[in-house]
Amino acid sequence: MSANFNEPLDLSEEQILTLAPDESSKKSGKDLANPSKWVSKAISARALWGECQGSGSKPYQTQVDLANLAFKCSCPSRKFPCKHGLGLLLLSARQPGLFQPSEEPLWVSDWLSKRVEKEERRAEKKESAKPVDEAAHAKRQQARQQKVSDGVAELLLWIKDMIRSGIHALPAKAPAWWENMARRMVDAQAPGLANMVRTLGNTNFYRTDWQSECTEQLLRIYLLISGYQYFDQQDPLLQADINSQLGFTINQEELKEAEGILDTWLVLGKQSSEDQGITTERYWLFGATTRRYALILQFIVRGQGAQLSLTPGLRIRAELVFFPSTAPLRALIKRQIQADTNSDGQGFSNWKEVADSTTATVSVLPFDGPRPYIVHRLTPVLHGQQWWLKDEEQTLMPIKENFRPIWKVLSLSGGEPLDMALIGKDRTFEPIGVWHDRQYKII
Amino acid sequence: MTTPWNNILHTALLGTDKQSLRAEELGEDLSPMAEQIVTSDKEEKFLQIAALAFNYRQAGFIPQHKESAQLSKPTPEDKPYCSPQAMQVLADVLEEENTALLALWLQLCRNSGQLARPEILPALLQRCITHKHLREDILTCGGQRARWLATLNPDWSMLPGSEDSAEQQWQTGTPEQRRDVLQQLHKSDPARALEWLQATWAQEDVNSKTDLLRSLSASPGPIDLPFLEGLSVDKSKKIREEATLLLKRIPASNLIRKYSEALQQRLKLKKERSLLGMLSKTALEIVPPADGQELSPILVQSGIEKLSNKKEYSDEEFICYQLMSYIPLDFYTSLWQKTPEEVVKLFNDDPLGKKLIPALVLSTVHFAEPKHAVPLMQFSSTFYLDLLPLLQPQQQEFYSNKFFATSPDAIIQYSTRRETEWGLELTESILRHASKDPYRYSKIFFNKIIALIPVGATAVLDKIQPDTLPAGASGNWPSISDAIRTLLLLKTQTIQAFNK
Repeated sequence: MSANFNEPLDLSEEQILTLAPDESSKKSGKDLANPSKWVSKAISARALWGECQGSGSKPYQTQVDLANLAFKCSCPSRKFPCKHGLGLLLLSARQPGLFQPSEEPLWVSDWLSKRVEKEERRAEKKESAKPVDEAAHAKRQQARQQKVSDGVAELLLWIKDMIRSGIHALPAKAPAWWENMARRMVDAQAPGLANMVRTLGNTNFYRTDWQSECTEQLLRIYLLISGYQYFDQQDPLLQADINSQLGFTINQEELKEAEGILDTWLVLGKQSSEDQGITTERYWLFGATTRRYALILQFIVRGQGAQLSLTPGLRIRAELVFFPSTAPLRALIKRQIQADTNSDGQGFSNWKEVADSTTATVSVLPFDGPRPYIVHRLTPVLHGQQWWLKDEEQTLMPIKENFRPIWKVLSLSGGEPLDMALIGKDRTFEPIGVWHDRQYKII
Repeated sequence: MTTPWNNILHTALLGTDKQSLRAEELGEDLSPMAEQIVTSDKEEKFLQIAALAFNYRQAGFIPQHKESAQLSKPTPEDKPYCSPQAMQVLADVLEEENTALLALWLQLCRNSGQLARPEILPALLQRCITHKHLREDILTCGGQRARWLATLNPDWSMLPGSEDSAEQQWQTGTPEQRRDVLQQLHKSDPARALEWLQATWAQEDVNSKTDLLRSLSASPGPIDLPFLEGLSVDKSKKIREEATLLLKRIPASNLIRKYSEALQQRLKLKKERSLLGMLSKTALEIVPPADGQELSPILVQSGIEKLSNKKEYSDEEFICYQLMSYIPLDFYTSLWQKTPEEVVKLFNDDPLGKKLIPALVLSTVHFAEPKHAVPLMQFSSTFYLDLLPLLQPQQQEFYSNKFFATSPDAIIQYSTRRETEWGLELTESILRHASKDPYRYSKIFFNKIIALIPVGATAVLDKIQPDTLPAGASGNWPSISDAIRTLLLLKTQTIQAFNK
């Protein structure tokens, strides 16, 4: 299917609500998707705008950049997008006839122009950026490497102690025992290792096969430690993977300087999690031409606005720069040109192809995390009291345990095969979207 | 089963202090490589070998080939799916958790011969668990796919509603399921319901028997009489009492016949002269039965009190009052050869009759007889609220408007039981009254009864301004009013979605 970016952005209500930062914003946004709440509302080729009578004396001016799906509102809310932005977009989805094509008022055209200017200024700023004090930077890096080295050695000793006395005692360990080691890793400036220790501590010890889950995570940590111990002998890309897993960050502005990959990227899914006031949003993307998968991460500190507004099913024409890796997945959006909602995915034909791809990735990156896949014509089947996905070759892979939306997948399938977007981890798969009646449906 | 990975897990569990992992335990693929791992550090050796096996496991997975793993397919649908707009409204209604609007959506979808689209079916089927009254409509609107899904999820196994499934539930279900299934069947096929009940009656304990009898109370009829009357000699008092309650609901029962005979002996008509002996009129009188004809023990056992507990009634009047409460109004029309209107007028114009009219009202409500509710409303000088639900919607609307000012809360309570929308005049009265008492008439209250409020009520809400409200209400009413508007908007969208 070819891209056509001249069509208006046609987001479903479900897609719009996925943009909401929280449940209360969803609810308030819905309440505001009511014509009586809007003093004025209109649309142009580039934007959607309206004035909403709030509690203040003047109506709030709300606008949505339709080309790149960006929001601005004069309300004092720190949420992004705010309820007014969501309400306006919802109203346009429910009753598009209410929005008359009009000339953009000054406050809308000013904002759109400023967005372009801001991009340009950002580019200029990069050019005129202050030179970095290389010596001081190197000194800081050396000090950190020493701390990380010490932390890694301490963690290896901890793991070996565990292996010596046996993991049978782990289910009885108090949360503080795990958290203590995680904090030691934070102190050693290796937050990635801290997260891996927390994941180990979060093993579901009530499961009958907890030993396997626990041992696999222990071995992931061990493999990372081993990789770090022989860091200098590694390929530079694998070094980048090791650093990334340990928690070393990359200057994103510098990364954006690199040449990116221009493609039409379909947003396959969005997953959010919150920990200690920081919301992590994971957007899984798929390039229509390059057939590459990408993971865009967005971290939102409570009370601060987000930069990205992507929703599953949305297709963006954008240039992505991938973080250096032996099996690149994480990426940044260098520039976004346009968005639309036509969606199509050309993925793997069967499980054998998925297995081959996984083998190729694991062979170069043994401590890899979850990855997205699009697989054609999968049918959910029940086999041995468990749900599986069967391909056209009659081969099966299991669906993630306790996957609650299985009933939605089943209902859409009706026993017939569907093209699916999935997240695969540890040889189990979690459907995140399916193509049904030529539309991408969020699971 | 012993596999290389299980061997690794076994060593990991016990610890390398107790057991070492040997290279040959990794199977023929990995053993040669594992043998090359040589170190005196036992833990290091274990971790290296296990890491090797872990990578092999991750990289070398082969999907299972299973042609036999199949799933049945649902029967193809023979009805069209509803529009995307209707689906969107349904999603909003489900998000609002509003059962009244969900019922309206399902009703309109069913009437239009359309189906809900597959993606929403799990959410609808989930509602079936808690909202039993919606099950039938959900299954109708869910089509073949909903029935197919229900067979796959044990949580929804009660849904297909087939005869087999009902009978299975009757035989093996929980007490609640058995009660529900008996009640449903008794409404549609009372003979079969009785057959089921009698077949297991001897095996039930007293509590189950009482519960099951209670489930017949929604639709007792003459067909139940032989079984129920047989229970009057049951050794359990609880069962006798429950059976008596049901017999009191069946006009053809021997008990009601005995009540009628006892009343006929006591309540008589007499001719009286009035206006200086120029005119005669019919009056009511209570004639105590002849000596020795005391109230029959059967009547006493059925709950008729011999002594009055109301000071304005004599003992005999009180007996008549109680008997009349269980005797249909048709008894008087056939006994005295009068129309229902004439009977009501007769009671209303007579001082004794006036005292007994509430018993006529009780009996009309007891037997749910709409044809007698109208004359009681028209010719009685007192307004009996209890009769409102028996009237036609227009009559309910008329009397609710007429008497709203005198009993607003009671009329609101009765109005919430209606099945048709309120008129705008009544809606305005109710909303105005509710705005002054937002604690009683909260958002929860309006959530439940939104189907009764006409969509035109938005204009009524505009008229109720906060400055016209009492101080205590002005704070809460605006948010309640907003919530009603949101629900009315959803209701409008629901109606429009099926009008296209």
